[in-house]
Amino acid sequence: MSDAASQDSTQKEFEDLFENAPCGYLTMLPNGRILRANAQLAAWMGYSAEQITSRRLHDLLTVGTRLFYETNFAPQLSLGDTCEEMSLDLKTASGEIMAVSASARVRKTSDGQAAVIRIALFKSAERRRYERQLVDARAKILEQARATQGLLANERETAELREQFIAVLGHDLRNPLAAVSGGIRLLRRDMSAERRDKLYGLLESSIARMASLIDNVLDFARGRLGAGIPLDLKTDVMLGSLLDQVVAELRLNYLDRKIESQFDLPGPIRCDPTRMSQLVSNLLGNALTHGAETEAVRIHANVSDEILVIWIANGGEPIPAAAIERLFHPFFRGEVRSSQQGLGLGLHIASEIAKAHGGTLEVASTKEETRFTFRMPIAAEN
Amino acid sequence: MSVYRRNNVQVRGSGARTMVFGHGFGCDQHMWRYVAPAFEEEFRTVLFDQVGTGGSDIASYDSVKYADLSGYADDLVEICQELQLHEAIFVGHSVGAMIGVLASVKAPDLFQKLVLIGPSPRYIDDGDYAGGFSSDQIDELLEFLGNNHMGWAETIAPAIMGNADRPELGEELKDSFCRLDPVIARDFARVTFTSDNRTDLQKVAAPTLILQCSDDFVASEAVGAYVHQQIPTSTLVQLRATGHCPNLSAPAEVIEAIRAYV
Repeated sequence: MSDAASQDSTQKEFEDLFENAPCGYLTMLPNGRILRANAQLAAWMGYSAEQITSRRLHDLLTVGTRLFYETNFAPQLSLGDTCEEMSLDLKTASGEIMAVSASARVRKTSDGQAAVIRIALFKSAERRRYERQLVDARAKILEQARATQGLLANERETAELREQFIAVLGHDLRNPLAAVSGGIRLLRRDMSAERRDKLYGLLESSIARMASLIDNVLDFARGRLGAGIPLDLKTDVMLGSLLDQVVAELRLNYLDRKIESQFDLPGPIRCDPTRMSQLVSNLLGNALTHGAETEAVRIHANVSDEILVIWIANGGEPIPAAAIERLFHPFFRGEVRSSQQGLGLGLHIASEIAKAHGGTLEVASTKEETRFTFRMPIAAEN
Repeated sequence: MSVYRRNNVQVRGSGARTMVFGHGFGCDQHMWRYVAPAFEEEFRTVLFDQVGTGGSDIASYDSVKYADLSGYADDLVEICQELQLHEAIFVGHSVGAMIGVLASVKAPDLFQKLVLIGPSPRYIDDGDYAGGFSSDQIDELLEFLGNNHMGWAETIAPAIMGNADRPELGEELKDSFCRLDPVIARDFARVTFTSDNRTDLQKVAAPTLILQCSDDFVASEAVGAYVHQQIPTSTLVQLRATGHCPNLSAPAEVIEAIRAYV
């Protein structure tokens, strides 16, 4: 091969190296006028090499990118000799956006003036996606951290309430225990059979109080530990008479209060009778404790559209909106006071019993009345 | 945090009068590299980086304070007060020019004269006012910056925090121009390109020189003419230079125009 032919072949190879590089490649004047662009870039952009050559680099950019090019990329090229990994969005002839990463070299004349700028452009759609994912992941982590902070604050508050609860429980158990202990001491002495019987009665009621406290704590623990309150479902519960019984018991405890009941429950209902009594008893007890003494407590039960509805209403001061939110939380008590209000588990347990029955317990409180409503769908065959 | 550290304030030159240079969005005080030295014999020159750019203190960035240009103008006023400047010459480029306008309205004694290079009081078109961009186009820029923020993310932070065990980061910073904190840059872009300070122009009392390039994509000749019309004490000079950064592409012409005015 002659020297000339060899030179020609080398020349062609370099041409090919430029034109068909795995990147877009161009040279331009400092004002952005494109002097030459390779075939690869032209192909990406959907222009012929001549079409690209008549343009300026910023004509190939989206408007948003061009603003950035003018204010950041171009100044960097004016100030330095190189520029690496600049993200740019190109707009192709067909209007599509092509994400590229650009690196540039400034070639200067002997007097230090910028003569031409060479820019290599690499497709970076994948990298953009990856960057986007990183940004999103970071945003997500920040959001999760905030949520965790919220949960932690909540848990701290619960822990504090739990400690108060334990203190109240200890206090409430100590009183009946002291009564039992004192009663046994008395029983050692001589006394009339009549007095002894009365003492047994007092001891039994103290023990019943302790048993009920312990039951509440166990119910609470079951509910909290995830299993929920266990039910012993019976298919043939005559709820009307069951409710009458609960109301009668509470009337005995609150002799000076009026309880108006209205039940319209013709057929048997599938439920756990003991738990249902507990639910209604807790709600009635709550209404009698917190409602205005001058007003009657009303309890109403009926079935409508295959939904059992039991509501209990009392008059008196409405429950503050802030308190409503926490009403069914464990340990909730209007304010922490010793023993008068019990352990603050009554409403929580009532709502857990409602949940276990596939029902809901809701409260609405206005100046006129405070009303707790239990709703439970009952299956058609019942 | 001293304002010197916060804004990376650099004072050079000597002279009875002081010239303060304010850069715009996308760059830092390097923007004045070919212009400011020309005035160092006659003037004391003051250069600084807007918070979030160049060598400014990133930790000083407060998204509430810098939610509009007023926060940046407050910084400029503080820098001038710290240096006990009166009757200085302010030279601002792009949004840096508008920040200077706001500072001169806040503290009229600071600047004897203003030089505004490629100023724009509002970039988005509004009725008869042609800012040059639709709000969609500005959204496109903001989205571009949002999507690309990893591309140039975090490169500045370690260097700024002085990683003694990684000196190459400091080297990289020293050799780099127009470095931006990605998150702050996006905020600054939003504040800049959605700003509307048209009503502030009339409040300018200082004699003002407007230097306008042709073919300026960011601040068009129509916008330059609007600024000239709104500032009663202004003079408009059309440069032969093209583009948005004549302080880089045609420094000699810019120096000549400033010198002739001050």
